[in-house]
Amino acid sequence: MAKTVMIIDDSASIRQVVSLTLIGAGYDVQEASDGKDALNKLKGQKINLFISDVNMPHMDGISLVKSLKGHPDYKFTPIVMLTTEGAEAKKQEGQAAGAKAWIVKPFQPAQLLKVVSMLVI
Amino acid sequence: MSNEFEQILQTFIQETKEQLQSMETSLLHLESEPANSEAIAAVFRAAHTIKGSAGLFGLDQMVGFTHILEDILDHVRDGDIAINKTLIALLLECSDHIYELLKVTAIEDTEMSPQALEREQQLRQRLRAYQIADIVSVPAEVETVVETVECEHDLVASDLWHISLRFSADVLRSGMDPLAMLRYLTTLGRIISITSIADRLPLLTELDTETYYLGFEIDFASDADKATIAEVFEFVREDSVIHILPPHSKIAEYIQLIQILPEADSRVGEILVQSGALTAQELALGLEQQQAVRSEGTAELLGEILVEKGAVELAVLQTALDKQSSAKEQKRRENNYIRVQADKLDRLINLVGELVIASAGTRLIAQNSQNTTFYESALGVTDLVEEIRDGALRLRMVPIGDTFSRFQRVVRDISHELGKEIELRISGADTEVDKTVVEKISDPLMHLLRNSMDHGIESPERRVAAGKFPRGKLSLNAYHDSGNIMIEIADDGAGLNRQRILEKAIERNLISPDAVLSEAEIDNLIFEPGFSTAERVTSLSGRGVGMDVVKRNITALRGTIQISSRPGEGTLVRIRLPLTLAIIDGFLVGVGSSNYVVPLDLVQECVELAEAERAAAKQQHILNLRGEVLPLIFLRHHFGLEDGQPRRANVVVVRSAGCKAGLVVDELLGEFQTVIKPLGKLFSGLRGVSGSTILGDGSVALILDAQSLIQLIMQKENHNPDWYGGEAGVGRTQQDYRGTLQ
Repeated sequence: MAKTVMIIDDSASIRQVVSLTLIGAGYDVQEASDGKDALNKLKGQKINLFISDVNMPHMDGISLVKSLKGHPDYKFTPIVMLTTEGAEAKKQEGQAAGAKAWIVKPFQPAQLLKVVSMLVI
Repeated sequence: MSNEFEQILQTFIQETKEQLQSMETSLLHLESEPANSEAIAAVFRAAHTIKGSAGLFGLDQMVGFTHILEDILDHVRDGDIAINKTLIALLLECSDHIYELLKVTAIEDTEMSPQALEREQQLRQRLRAYQIADIVSVPAEVETVVETVECEHDLVASDLWHISLRFSADVLRSGMDPLAMLRYLTTLGRIISITSIADRLPLLTELDTETYYLGFEIDFASDADKATIAEVFEFVREDSVIHILPPHSKIAEYIQLIQILPEADSRVGEILVQSGALTAQELALGLEQQQAVRSEGTAELLGEILVEKGAVELAVLQTALDKQSSAKEQKRRENNYIRVQADKLDRLINLVGELVIASAGTRLIAQNSQNTTFYESALGVTDLVEEIRDGALRLRMVPIGDTFSRFQRVVRDISHELGKEIELRISGADTEVDKTVVEKISDPLMHLLRNSMDHGIESPERRVAAGKFPRGKLSLNAYHDSGNIMIEIADDGAGLNRQRILEKAIERNLISPDAVLSEAEIDNLIFEPGFSTAERVTSLSGRGVGMDVVKRNITALRGTIQISSRPGEGTLVRIRLPLTLAIIDGFLVGVGSSNYVVPLDLVQECVELAEAERAAAKQQHILNLRGEVLPLIFLRHHFGLEDGQPRRANVVVVRSAGCKAGLVVDELLGEFQTVIKPLGKLFSGLRGVSGSTILGDGSVALILDAQSLIQLIMQKENHNPDWYGGEAGVGRTQQDYRGTLQ
């Protein structure tokens, strides 16, 4: 069964690039436009990996991580954060919240695939 | 791929435009309310998103420039930099420059012009003043390689990598699966031996299933380099103890590893010897040397410092974040949108148009079939088709507010340029209108606004002298009015100078010197081609092209424009536009053997023209409608259909732009959904007809342009325009007086 990855980013073009890359590699992809949208779209289905932006309207990536860590269905699901380089402090905060994997934007599709294959087996 | 890429690029371009728009809106918002943290966050987010997405497309120039902005905005958000007018102005210029970058590098895919690059340099120079050195220094990466105590250069014999893993207890809770990492490791090479370290495992009763207790000692055969292997554990590196020793490492490195690992030294040594990583001799030799040197473990101390430091930053950041998230969430953009390509939508609407025609045909056949059940079912289908039509048309409707808010910036820039203080008030931004209309109305509106600012609103000194507030008011208002959208542009300026308009019109031969015109007629002269009253030509308006172009654009949208003005108090321009350009509700009438459609929104009532009144009406072209004088147009006569006398005559009372008139027809055929088919070029000069449509039986009916019909009778009765109420003459221009329809 194909593994499901959820991409949460307020930028539609980022979502499209991530989707395209992952679907091409045989993953199922769900998209959400911000943290709140992601939580709304989670209905207990199996998600193997979350990829989330940090800065988003409505609910940012850090708050999303905190919510997911408190969610019985998703507390063990790996989360990859997408970030821009100047966000070291944010990164520490995110890691404290439980998001250990960080990818610096702009990323190459190959790099993304590698990280995903490392985390989703 | 290239097609998909092209599509994503389009998404990116669209998205970036929207982001720039929202950045601009928020910046303007900040100008009046500098402390609004919500707006600051929105500006930051826009820069952040633009930068992140641009990177994906390799638009390095855009990334580089936006990065500076993002950096500064980040400090603004944290309160390190205060936002002020100068900074807002600079940021607005930067957003313009990003738009330029988008246009040139992403849309046109060319190089920036030298002037643009020059501008970028200047902007960067000015931005530099705000770039402050990072207060928070980035902590150095925690080096996972154990620094060896240099003693002897003895190397171990083993040609395998040695990997020591002590996962943190929280690894599972972080969403990381050690098993997944080991599996991934096997894609890089072969695990020769693996020893599980279960020393931390508690008693079963105390075991917490969410905590991870195991560690591993691995001997690994691989051609990969150290960085690649280390990458496997990248995400757990910071919390877990990970040591990777390359093949033929120094014995001393192994010794140090033994000491660092939490288990008893002897136990680790035993494992290493057992797995073949070290021989017993190598271990003994190493331990001996180690005894002699006895170095302090400074590395660990460093780690502690880092953690402490990290905690401090965390606390600072937490406060900042709490403040930010407590701010109200931006409600405007609920992101539940699906992007649909406009041509798909157009195709759908075209099909719905055909469906409407087809269903009208079916209904007609059903009606004539005398089969009641069939007729009823046809009626049911017609109802549904009508709903589908409305739904399909609504898909194309967008709020006009996006167009309006763009003007805030224009007004701000222009008022600065003119040295006037002008405030733009927008209302009715939620009013929805067809996308095509929105696109085409933007330029005319822009021109009208510029005109109001340039010619209408006076300079602050003159305003004060006239007893007004120095700050001029400009308002933009939109609302729905019986199937039309009304857009009003009002200013509280000096109003139109009628004397000058008249002089100018006479000078330009637009009217004869002895013409007698009402005030409204004079005002509307400014829509004449080649008309301009500005005493000096500024860069904004006054070149004499413009108002006539505005009128032409609006007429092309089947709309009307009228202007009214009070000297010293201001000017009001009112634009009436149809909500949609494709399908309307029509009222079908019959004259002789022909059918005509009147837009239903304009129909006020229908009355029968009694036999007794007919002769008088025909002669005077007026009807006494409950004491009101109603001018009449005999369509039979108007369209030259002199085929016999009708048995009966009806009057359809239509109202357009404040004027009423009666259309005399033979038969009233009732409501009819009208799919507008434009007339060919040949008929573009035809007045009184705005389009055609196909009826259910396949015959063609012309759609009447009530507005121009009314204008027509006005010109006939022009010796006494006051008949038609106060707004008489509205929308009529001098040109109309010269042309005739027949």
